Amino acid sequence: MTAVTGQAAAAAPELIHHALVYGSDEAFLSATTGFCRDGLAGGDRVLAVTTPANIGLLEDALGPAAAGVEFVAADDWYGAPGRTLAAYGRYVDAHKVRHRRVRIIGEPVWHGRSPAEEAEWTRYESVINAAFAGSPAWIVCPYDERTLPERIVADARRTHPKLLTGSAEHDSHAYTDPAAFAHASDHLPLPPPAGAGEEIRFDADLGRMRQRVAARAAALGLSAGQIDRLLLAVNEVAANAVQHGGGHGRILLWADAAGIGCDVADPGRLSTPFPGYLPPDPLADRGHGLWVVRQLCELLEIRTGRNGTQVRLHLARG
Amino acid sequence: MRQVKDVRLGDHLCLAFTHEAEQREVSVTFVTAGLARGERVLYLTDDPTPDRVRHWLEEAGVDVAAVTAAGQLGVRPAREGYLVSGRFDPDAMITALRGEVAGSLAAGFSGFRISGEMGWALRGVAGAERLEEYERRITALFHEGMSAAICQYDTRVFPPDRLDALTGCHPEQVQMNALLQDGPLRVTPAFDSEGRPVLRVSGAIDRDTAAAWDAALQSAVGEDGDVRVDMGGLEFIDVAGLRVLVRTAAALPDGRCLRVLRLAPALDKVIRMVGWDRTSGLVIDSEVASA
Repeated sequence: MTAVTGQAAAAAPELIHHALVYGSDEAFLSATTGFCRDGLAGGDRVLAVTTPANIGLLEDALGPAAAGVEFVAADDWYGAPGRTLAAYGRYVDAHKVRHRRVRIIGEPVWHGRSPAEEAEWTRYESVINAAFAGSPAWIVCPYDERTLPERIVADARRTHPKLLTGSAEHDSHAYTDPAAFAHASDHLPLPPPAGAGEEIRFDADLGRMRQRVAARAAALGLSAGQIDRLLLAVNEVAANAVQHGGGHGRILLWADAAGIGCDVADPGRLSTPFPGYLPPDPLADRGHGLWVVRQLCELLEIRTGRNGTQVRLHLARG
Repeated sequence: MRQVKDVRLGDHLCLAFTHEAEQREVSVTFVTAGLARGERVLYLTDDPTPDRVRHWLEEAGVDVAAVTAAGQLGVRPAREGYLVSGRFDPDAMITALRGEVAGSLAAGFSGFRISGEMGWALRGVAGAERLEEYERRITALFHEGMSAAICQYDTRVFPPDRLDALTGCHPEQVQMNALLQDGPLRVTPAFDSEGRPVLRVSGAIDRDTAAAWDAALQSAVGEDGDVRVDMGGLEFIDVAGLRVLVRTAAALPDGRCLRVLRLAPALDKVIRMVGWDRTSGLVIDSEVASA
């Protein structure tokens, strides 16, 4: 893993990850307008993912230069942490070929998130530092302190190595290395699911496990396509448990308002750093499974420690 | 789906083939196995002469002249076999076959097996509309346990609806011997309609069958030309199983590729998620081929 320096090295540029904590439209614009203008002037690719209001502000401030910036509404972009991270990865990969640097304004969506979603999107901000290490991306993440709860703004200071004010950057003293980052809720057990049926125990016979999970999923009214997606995801997690974990485990499956929830628990400990978050090398011998699981799921929660590992998958109904 | 090596007296099976190479492989295996077991074998060919079938059997090492002289093998034009009275009559056909079985046993053979090429049924023969009735009724004779049959239908000439109806009149279908059978995973060689070899994969690929899956692909790589893998019959494949497919494709020499046929769209998406769609040598055929 390459260290994040933030220094504009002479050779290939490395990841810069800024939080922009702003309390006014002027503060938002004073940082983002120059960021876009400098990027366009230097031949960088510029993507701005933010609220419709901020898109309007920035377009007005940039004037004709706005035509050079790609704007995307944040609600359309921040769907699921794993998929959003993959989308940024594809974007950077696509444009780094012809641009020295890819500049991104990325304002995550926090309103309307459940506590679990808020925790995982916070972790996502931290993981960005590892997933894009060595990548020529400069990501500025705006946080609107007029409307965001203090805990989210405080976490932004822990997940971003640098803070941006106007055109000035300074170190974030609260920054926590992503490998050591823990969300406040990580020390609490995951809330017990409501309405989960009888648990399905599994061992190395994953075919039998899939049969039983499929039967339970069908009883919950999932379509054939949803069952296939669930089986693919659950099989990867269970295979990890069999191969690297405790060798056996338990599965719970339930339906809730958001979709389908599924817990896979095993007595082993998950030692993989950033499980499923780092874009896999297609040519690698392993390490693609959890990446795929994150792409298939709306949300993935993981608790691991001395008492074993619990992986909670949330899949959309649709 | 029965493998041809597992055909036994008592079976009434349908072979829906897409190419002569598949037809030949199944037919020759069926006939030679019958001869080896001391059964009498009758082959009804859609050709006017028995030459093609005799040639197949000779190529496979059968002394056709000798077994014919001994009364153990008969290769006859299908019109003579099926259309005794100039038209197709299920009752007469069932009676005739019952006589063949009894005659074979009386002559000291251990059983009777028959295979028929059914293309004549599409050529406006009187009574051919009763073929389904015949296929349904004749099963009882084979189920008595002293005889077996493979009825051959060319999927390129029989209309799909008629083919579905006719295969449905047989208790089971038959195909070439599997290259590999490992628990729930079966990999069977077959041919596409242009005669190119295809590996038909069915069952499940997961950590239990990963090694066998890899071995099956490597054996296909050993042949010349593109590797074609039909995933239409697959019930499950995990991410590691897809990785084996990708790595096999990537390791092919320039100019050859691995074509994945009938891959479920959801799995195509998984391949894209990992970036495997950019693998050189990997071609995902999105076309929905006819089964």
